[in-house]
Amino acid sequence: MHIVASLEQSLFLELAITELEEKGIAKNKIVAVPLKKKAGNSRIFDTIHRADGISLFDGAMILGTVFAILGAIYGTVLKWGPVLWGIIGLFTGFAVGLLLDLLINKRRTAGKKTKPIPAEVVLIINCDREQAEMVEKVLWDNQALGVGRINT
Amino acid sequence: MFKTINRKNQRYPRAVISPFTTNTINRTNPWVAAWWSAAFPGFGHMFLGRYITGFVLTIWEIILNLKANINLAIIYSFTGQFDQAREVLDYKLFIVYIGAFVFGIWDSYRISVEMNKRSVLADRTDPVVDNFSMSPFSINCFEKRNPWVSAAWSCLVPGLGHVYIHRLATGFFVLIIWALAVYFSRMLVAMHLTLTGAFSEAAAVIDPAYFLFLPSLYGFSIYCSYVYTVEYNKVFKAEQAGYLKANYQSPDSKMPC
Repeated sequence: MHIVASLEQSLFLELAITELEEKGIAKNKIVAVPLKKKAGNSRIFDTIHRADGISLFDGAMILGTVFAILGAIYGTVLKWGPVLWGIIGLFTGFAVGLLLDLLINKRRTAGKKTKPIPAEVVLIINCDREQAEMVEKVLWDNQALGVGRINT
Repeated sequence: MFKTINRKNQRYPRAVISPFTTNTINRTNPWVAAWWSAAFPGFGHMFLGRYITGFVLTIWEIILNLKANINLAIIYSFTGQFDQAREVLDYKLFIVYIGAFVFGIWDSYRISVEMNKRSVLADRTDPVVDNFSMSPFSINCFEKRNPWVSAAWSCLVPGLGHVYIHRLATGFFVLIIWALAVYFSRMLVAMHLTLTGAFSEAAAVIDPAYFLFLPSLYGFSIYCSYVYTVEYNKVFKAEQAGYLKANYQSPDSKMPC
């Protein structure tokens, strides 16, 4: 029979595979398929996996820095001083940059909304019926997102 | 035990890892690289992993800016005190400064464009990257880290976000110049006075020539540590995917259908 599982990529994945091997599953009975993500499907907020292409952080940080510099400059002649105006500038710039990025992104990705799927690897393990429960437990213990059986 | 991939003789490597730091070739926005060079000469190059140019330009910027009173002149000009700006600026040094300032912006834009091409070529070949590097003094490895944690550490103390992701060449350098700029600008004294409501004393105690270095340092360290956390995560994934494909896709595996 076969056990199929989806996992995120992390060291847990390799821990799971090596544990299965230690428990007697031969290497050629384990198949791992790293999934390629659909290109050009941009998400509104950056995830752990991407910051290039369309990032909401670029505009926010750049405008944040610009406004912080301006705040620090004009703070020398304004009442609250350069420290406070610098910080106010940083937050204002960040907010304005984020809003601009969101607006531009919305226009660019209108009508192309897809939810991100965390699954990054599909594991297929060929094992005996008696081993199935052990295999499933190893997978669940190593943060598998989902595990299923194919009874053949 | 497991199949290793020949990592020698790659024409388009994706990343290099050493016990001291990690360098990657990844896609960047050339306008963003140019902007960081404009905010602080040398930062665009550090952002792109060109440390030697980056360090030289940054130290050059600090020395010439302070000697020629450029930060003071910027503040006077922006607040309309043009006579004082003219008086305080050292023109002979200012002219020398401009050349390197413009070069930094132009060169980081150019490097970003060229490296983007190499990044595409690297993606078209199989990723061959070490995921780990160790020496008796340090250990460095690709792992999955959270970019918001990097950003948060950089918010607390610029440089720490880079230390978290082991981009130590940037991390230690930024830590040192941040500490020096905070000390000489008397920013923490001004912060104390600001928080207790003594705004005019705060403005008086601050040294604006040093203080104007701080906003760019702050913004850069947050942005750069965030971006490279994401990039290193991607290298981690690419390396692991390459290993899995080489070792766990045996042609004699029995498939369910």
